[in-house]
Amino acid sequence: VAGLAVVDASLDWPGTKGGRHAAATGFNLPVGVVTVCAAIGVLVIALAYTAGRLGYASSPWADGTYWLGQALILVPAAVRLFARRALSASEVVTIVTVLTVAEYLATVCYSPAGFTFADELEHWRSTVNVLQTGRLLTPNYLLPISPRYPGLEEVASALASVTGLSVFTVGLIIAGVAHLLFVWVLYLLFREFSGSYRIAGIAVLCYASNSHFASFDSMFIYQTLALPFLGLTLLAAWRLTAGERTGPRVSWLIFAVLAIAVTVVTHHVTSYVLAATLLVVTLAALLMRNWHTAAWVGGLTLLSAATAASWLAFAAPQTWTYLQPIAVGTLRSLQALFAASHSGGSSALGGPLGNRVLSAGTVLIVSALLPVGWWQVWRTHRHQLWIVAMAIVSVGWYVIVAARFTVADGTELAGRAATFIFVPAAFIVALALAHLVGAGVRGLVRVVAVSAPAVVLLLMFDGLANGWPPYWERLPGAYQVAGSERSVGPEEIAAARWTLAALGPGNRFATDAGSYSVLGSYGDQNPLQNVAYLYTSRVFTSTDAAQAQTQALRYVWVDQRLSQSLPAAGQYFPIDPNAGKYTHPLPEADLDKFNTTRGVARIYDGGNIVIYELAGP
Amino acid sequence: MREQADLAITAAVAVLTCVAAILGAPIPVTAVLGIVLLAGPGYLLGQLLFGSRIAGLERLAVFTGLALCVPILGGLALAAAGLALHRTAWLGLLAGTTLVSDLILFFRRRSGRVASFSWRQEGKGLPTRHVVTLGVALAIVIAALGLARAGAALQSYPGFTQLWLAHPNANAATANLGVGNYEGRTTRYLLVLLRNGHEVASWNLTLANGQSWHQSPVFSAHIAANLYKLPDVVHRYRYVTIGSDGGASS
Repeated sequence: VAGLAVVDASLDWPGTKGGRHAAATGFNLPVGVVTVCAAIGVLVIALAYTAGRLGYASSPWADGTYWLGQALILVPAAVRLFARRALSASEVVTIVTVLTVAEYLATVCYSPAGFTFADELEHWRSTVNVLQTGRLLTPNYLLPISPRYPGLEEVASALASVTGLSVFTVGLIIAGVAHLLFVWVLYLLFREFSGSYRIAGIAVLCYASNSHFASFDSMFIYQTLALPFLGLTLLAAWRLTAGERTGPRVSWLIFAVLAIAVTVVTHHVTSYVLAATLLVVTLAALLMRNWHTAAWVGGLTLLSAATAASWLAFAAPQTWTYLQPIAVGTLRSLQALFAASHSGGSSALGGPLGNRVLSAGTVLIVSALLPVGWWQVWRTHRHQLWIVAMAIVSVGWYVIVAARFTVADGTELAGRAATFIFVPAAFIVALALAHLVGAGVRGLVRVVAVSAPAVVLLLMFDGLANGWPPYWERLPGAYQVAGSERSVGPEEIAAARWTLAALGPGNRFATDAGSYSVLGSYGDQNPLQNVAYLYTSRVFTSTDAAQAQTQALRYVWVDQRLSQSLPAAGQYFPIDPNAGKYTHPLPEADLDKFNTTRGVARIYDGGNIVIYELAGP
Repeated sequence: MREQADLAITAAVAVLTCVAAILGAPIPVTAVLGIVLLAGPGYLLGQLLFGSRIAGLERLAVFTGLALCVPILGGLALAAAGLALHRTAWLGLLAGTTLVSDLILFFRRRSGRVASFSWRQEGKGLPTRHVVTLGVALAIVIAALGLARAGAALQSYPGFTQLWLAHPNANAATANLGVGNYEGRTTRYLLVLLRNGHEVASWNLTLANGQSWHQSPVFSAHIAANLYKLPDVVHRYRYVTIGSDGGASS
């Protein structure tokens, strides 16, 4: 069957004899050493985080300690995967698993006592709602679409109910298992496609360099759970087309149907990407006249598209409203991109010089390696339609790079797309690296081949440096004005919990960017985004009052610390017309004006946080 | 009997988890049983669908995926049937799926359509040096998590006191007045309640860290409260006000 690559246990470095190659590193680290080094790396990172919490978040040595820990995780894994000595399949799986688990534990060490990341707080709220009410469709004001895609919350509430563990603990377990499962499935797919577990391991290593790998893709977020089911559907599709006997084929078909259903009810975008991916494979099969694969995968494409469309139409019609602004923004950005008119500065161009150099270096390296990989596909895999499909989709990498550097919000867009685009791109890059390293090439290219582990490490350090948390919150520490995780502390949580206890859920609130997710999650309130006008004028005018009434705003949360520091992320409010333009903190008088405004009640005073109730209509 | 050992174990875990839930067993017990109960249906459904036709990492990945399918699709079915997704429903779903799968698998094995369970088939033991390496790595990682937890617990935050005076329900005859102490130590306060700018009541409060105090004073149009952190009775520490236009008078 065309497209089927048989995995040969003796096939280690393709194009070499005896599993050895001319150019790769001569270090022969035992996998046990890789494992222990990774564990020490996690410990060193925990040490850096503790230093940050004890007041050294801005200290260069604490930052250096963090990077030392990352090096202890990444370097031995990369060196071993590129080592001269032959690797067994179990060794590759162990390295991939160790790398994934170590990076996940490093993420856990960042917030070991409770969720602090905004998206995790959104799903924490949805899960608590399911546990409290027993119903899936309880409103979540912070992420209204979340109850319509309840897969993550169902698993979390089931596990929390039967174990008695906290939502935070079961959230960590589920996110960790889902993340590891996704990596395993990626490895299995790469291994099946390439026929080499070494290439599969390198491809996973390359994939791990995407900036969301150690953050968004491993957090307690619905996409984290949907991703492995996308992969499992593709694995089932591969098995269905692999020409196996009827018995297993029926089993794989049932499994594919289940995996598609789970993907659809767990995360909207992932389910659409799944349908699109299956469609690309079907088209590739049709182009290559592989009717057998076209029939099976085409059937799964129809099934996934129909399931996603049905769910969208009957269970989650709000999805369109939710995704429309993102889709329109993306289209506008792409139009601007293709019209060669930059629609705004991208934060990819900001940040420390080191981060920018890493980012630029990564772009150059991957841009150079992808064509080499395509050449390899043409030379040796052009009859393997899954690999051809991967090569086609990997072109998307250049689109997200262009978006990252040229359009407004390009980094956000590129980061989210990278989770999906990096799958084929990482595989094609791994094919290129394997060719350069294993083919006994000469001259300048040989130098490149020798430095292959360094290249992969550069990609991975770029993913971490330009990923999440951002450089200004690399280490946990003291409260940060309008920041992210560092804006979630006891004072904010206590105030948010007070709003729920005293005012009830779902009140429409004005608040700053730092407190937004705390108020919506712990407080179960309905914070609005377009509220900057309430905080940036000396007087609360009748126009402001009218706008607040139009927004049905009832309460204003004022954090006095907005007048003490510039915003860490460049903006004080979720939608901020002055984002990136602030040169001094907000004037104190702009925040205090509600104290002297007739009809406005000052109902809560927590020192830094004051809550006002606006006059009713 | 050894050929059905896996079925016996999964059935026993399903029953034990339900019993532990009924008896209110401690969390360490319910946690272990609950996690095994969640994984059980994945293993059994995997056995039913694939038997021994898949192996290694692929088998682990497929079984894990199936385990996650059960609460997701089963939970949807329960919700569609109008059942509240509380502990009983989840226990029923997971234990029910386990026991039904056990039964089906039992009869399929007896009829020879599915291979019997074998400890050898489930995997060989790890070499001693690998066990030692894993043990060392595990110990280091546990130390790392402990250090991170300790660091989070040691992180110092500035203490604070909450004062509130809320009247969210316009029809309520009383307001909600309260003080919460999060200063990190026992703190003494003087709370003064004002109507139309005149003191109508005061309270001397001594609150332990984390303790709060509530009252429900009769609501009126101009009501305010000043909180003093003793021994300083000159500078108000916190204040709240409803219905006045310049804050509570100090």
